[in-house]
Amino acid sequence: MLFLEQPPRFLFFTGKGGVGKTSIACATAITLAHCGKRVLLVSTDPASNVGQVFGITIGNQITSITAVERLFALEIDPQAAAEVYRERIVGPVRGKLPESIVKSIEEQLSGACTTEIAAFDEFTSLLTYSTLNSGYDHIIFDTAPTGHTIRLLQLPGAWSNFIEEGKGDASCLGPLSGLVKQRAQYKEAVEALADPLRTRLVLVSRAQEATLREVARTCKELAAIGISQQYLVINGILPGSEAEQDVLGKAIVNREQAALAAMPDILKSLPCDYVALKPFNLVGLDALHLLFAKNIPQLMPEVDQPISIDAPNLSALVDEIAANSHGLIMFMGKGGVGKTTLAAAVALELANRGLPTHLTTTDPAAHLTDTLTGAVKNLAVSRIDPDGETERYREQVLKTKGTQLDSEGLALLKEDLRSPCTEEIAVFQAFSRVIREADKQFVVVDTAPTGHTLLLLDATGAYHREVSRQAGDNGLLELTPMMQLQDPKQTRVLLVTLAETTPVLEALNLQEDLRRAGIEPWAWIINNSVAAAEPHSPLLKQRAYNELSEIDAVAHHHATRYAVVPLLMEEPVGRECLSELIHA
Amino acid sequence: MKKIQVFDPALCCSTGVCGVDVDQALINFSADLDWAKQNGASIERFNLAQQPMAFADNPTVKTFLELSGQEALPLILLDGATVLTGRYPSRAELARWADITLAEAEPKTSKGCCSGKSCC
Repeated sequence: MLFLEQPPRFLFFTGKGGVGKTSIACATAITLAHCGKRVLLVSTDPASNVGQVFGITIGNQITSITAVERLFALEIDPQAAAEVYRERIVGPVRGKLPESIVKSIEEQLSGACTTEIAAFDEFTSLLTYSTLNSGYDHIIFDTAPTGHTIRLLQLPGAWSNFIEEGKGDASCLGPLSGLVKQRAQYKEAVEALADPLRTRLVLVSRAQEATLREVARTCKELAAIGISQQYLVINGILPGSEAEQDVLGKAIVNREQAALAAMPDILKSLPCDYVALKPFNLVGLDALHLLFAKNIPQLMPEVDQPISIDAPNLSALVDEIAANSHGLIMFMGKGGVGKTTLAAAVALELANRGLPTHLTTTDPAAHLTDTLTGAVKNLAVSRIDPDGETERYREQVLKTKGTQLDSEGLALLKEDLRSPCTEEIAVFQAFSRVIREADKQFVVVDTAPTGHTLLLLDATGAYHREVSRQAGDNGLLELTPMMQLQDPKQTRVLLVTLAETTPVLEALNLQEDLRRAGIEPWAWIINNSVAAAEPHSPLLKQRAYNELSEIDAVAHHHATRYAVVPLLMEEPVGRECLSELIHA
Repeated sequence: MKKIQVFDPALCCSTGVCGVDVDQALINFSADLDWAKQNGASIERFNLAQQPMAFADNPTVKTFLELSGQEALPLILLDGATVLTGRYPSRAELARWADITLAEAEPKTSKGCCSGKSCC
């Protein structure tokens, strides 16, 4: 493994949920400990299974892993860390101010930025305090802060007004008036991150086009702030030998190889390692030890019974949707789970049943929408460009608010406008023009705002309504988008996920977040299921078998209704393939 | 000198989450506030989202919130007594409360609307 050669003190693994960061971080820690190094493994994965992997309880304190000499581990729960911050601000006024007000302050402190910065705050001391980290040759993190967080911490404007005085301007940092450490310490931590002699950043991806595209974006962003020593690991590649045993296996091998060949240039220049998909669960020392092994001994516990599942398909969901003649159908889920494809498939099916439908997507490649535009009766297709919308929104805010700011304030505002929330708001604003049509026909949208964003938008909406009411302007008393989204007769939210631990957990978090905003997801869709594709090759059968418990949890615990969509042989593009998705 | 206290609604952040419609009233008020301060007025500003304790600790503000809710903010106190609710004061009102003569004080360009304790 290239990324394991002459490793510096700090190793960070980054990548989206479900790519296998934690497994690779664990295997790295074990490998280095075996080489005689003292190693601390730090997990901030909310689904951390580091303890489970080693068969002990770890939690929020450095714990010695007795099974591996010289190995120590620490689990930081970012949600819990954010909760502590929230409580520091909200706790003192609870019971003193009206409940609704306490709730709204809590909401302001419930965004993704708060959680991320809270986690960063937790491990800052590991990058700087010599007393805390001096006992270790290597400290390995299974996550890394985003470029946005690092840039914010680098900006003098973020500190001068807010953190040192404990009040003042808000920003993504703003809610964290509870940030406990000193500016100098954050500065030192950020410097350590950007120092190639001390820090190596390992990007973890799968051999999938969308995932690689996202990783390229992260790579560019981190390089721009000086984190130049980056490595790439492509995890979970299906070995070519599987292609001989199974048509599905062959299709996956081909697709993965094509994705790797078309890898973005910025990634091609990085030192890259390839890790093959393993036929066993990455739990336990023996399994982890074999993760980086070239030749795997024949210890695979083969799944001997054929895998098949009895789960509803998409057409059952469409039947129920089609019982009405109109409505808003929103697909929600993390990037790369296939929201655009599923939205297109459902819209096409509704149109095929004679129901007028407007499909509107954020599809970056646009090839999917291209194949449908004008091709189908009853179907209108439009596309929103997230980057363009965000840019327009940024310019508008800068033009109206930026003019009065000094240079530090302006730099801070610009950075705030690069936050993920900003993009979400900009895209949602663009969509909200279209969703008004949903009282006459079906409007199918491949993205949805989080509950957090809706709550914030609605709070301001309420405020602005009040202002205009007092100003004697009654024109604004129409339904807000929030009210439309909360009404199950008007709106159905479909949560899209994959049958793997982390993606299911991420979907659960999205569901909780929507519930906070009074929106109940109507259904879950498990996409790209290997189990539903009924594979024959031993490796795929093992993977299918691993999916069963996740599918079961969604079916019986998380969802009120659900559907499972199989992994198809070909990327579902075009009318026939999309129809196949519905009936598979 | 009389003390002016401004209790803002929960204005969150400069990203514009709170500025979906960039609120001209807020921008104007920030400029006026800056002007009044430069002319010697004593003004404090509190944001519900970030300094909730300031609201909870003041009996007048606390009672106002309980009766009218946060939608009725902002609330402006002059030496502890309510002088305005539901909208921001004009430059003339600020001047009257702070005993600034409008003609004398030439309006100056404000340094920045966000240099105060609240976001704009």
